[in-house]
Amino acid sequence: MNRGKKSVIVLCGLLLLAGGVAFAGPQKEEAYDESTYGPANPIIWTKPLKAVVFYHKTHTMGAGLSCDSCHDALFEMAAGTAQEKPDFTMDSLYKGKYCGACHDGNMAFASNTRCTTCHVGVKGYNRLTGADAKKSGKAGH
Amino acid sequence: MKISELEKLNNEGAEHLPSEERRRFLQFGLAVTGVFLGGSVLSLTSARTAQGQVGPMGPVPPAGKFPYKPHYTMVMRQNRCIDCERCMEACVKTNQVPSYGYRTKILEQVRPLGQGESERVFMPVLCNQCNRPPCVRVCPTTATYKDKTNGIVMMDYKRCIGCKTCMAACPYNARYFKEENRAVDKCNFCIDTRLAKGETKTACAAACPAGVRIFGDLTDPGSEAYRLIHRPEKIVWVLRPETGAMPNVFYMND
Repeated sequence: MNRGKKSVIVLCGLLLLAGGVAFAGPQKEEAYDESTYGPANPIIWTKPLKAVVFYHKTHTMGAGLSCDSCHDALFEMAAGTAQEKPDFTMDSLYKGKYCGACHDGNMAFASNTRCTTCHVGVKGYNRLTGADAKKSGKAGH
Repeated sequence: MKISELEKLNNEGAEHLPSEERRRFLQFGLAVTGVFLGGSVLSLTSARTAQGQVGPMGPVPPAGKFPYKPHYTMVMRQNRCIDCERCMEACVKTNQVPSYGYRTKILEQVRPLGQGESERVFMPVLCNQCNRPPCVRVCPTTATYKDKTNGIVMMDYKRCIGCKTCMAACPYNARYFKEENRAVDKCNFCIDTRLAKGETKTACAAACPAGVRIFGDLTDPGSEAYRLIHRPEKIVWVLRPETGAMPNVFYMND
């Protein structure tokens, strides 16, 4: 009797554990699928100045946008094409071009606020590209 | 002296602070010594005078009480800074700053906003051209001095013996030793490289694409710098006001 009780408790415990794993697993981390959500690596623009970062994950998986929300009307598929255009500036964003199509203060935070959310600077660029590590490896001062 | 090294030192705590009497005695002693030395030695400024700088205008001196004319200043609209470092590039080019040195830098902080969110803050720093510059007080050869007209903290490279005491005394870590000159080098608001040639802005201010650095003259109420820091609705701060150095670089968010 006692033994039977024990095994029931153990069984229940195991079930709970398994259930916990089964339920908590996907909630914690949904696998990031690049074909659905876009490249996992950040897009980094370095023109006209260093540097602006864009994460597909935040916008697709996080904000629920689909690929054709931005491609190809706002941004071409090939990464880095936008920065080759002369109008890839904050002024254009304020006029609703590029990021400014959504970042207008209604759909997403306005382009003229929270600058450092996207502008990671030279320091952020070096961190993202690993230029920091290379530099400190070389430095013999 | 690097800030990173200073940060590693142990905090001595407050439990071994001298008693009230001892403090008074020391204060008396320092006052007497101060008289003999003309009050010109580092750290003999009493705490009372140092605190006296924070008036009703915050760290901004009351209008009409600017000791120099022109009284050069730089106002930093800090939240606009995105660390593109064009200012640093322009400074290096204009003032022949070597690769290991700097006259201005961008510091980076991460400020927690709660709920797992945080924001990055970039803080441009340079020589604050203090009204009471600790570096000038400690220089044994008067190689570094306040310009009598415009108050810029200047370097006379020929007089500098490279003792680096000024580097240790500077509350803003704004000085470096320039091997080429065998002398300490620092920001001088481009007085020789630009202002003397008729330019109205420093190289860094001219290069800033985001309007962070506003260079100007505090004695001119029409200047943008004056206007920015005299708006009652805005909070203006300086870095390390507790040192009593009376810096002339002001920070604000626009």
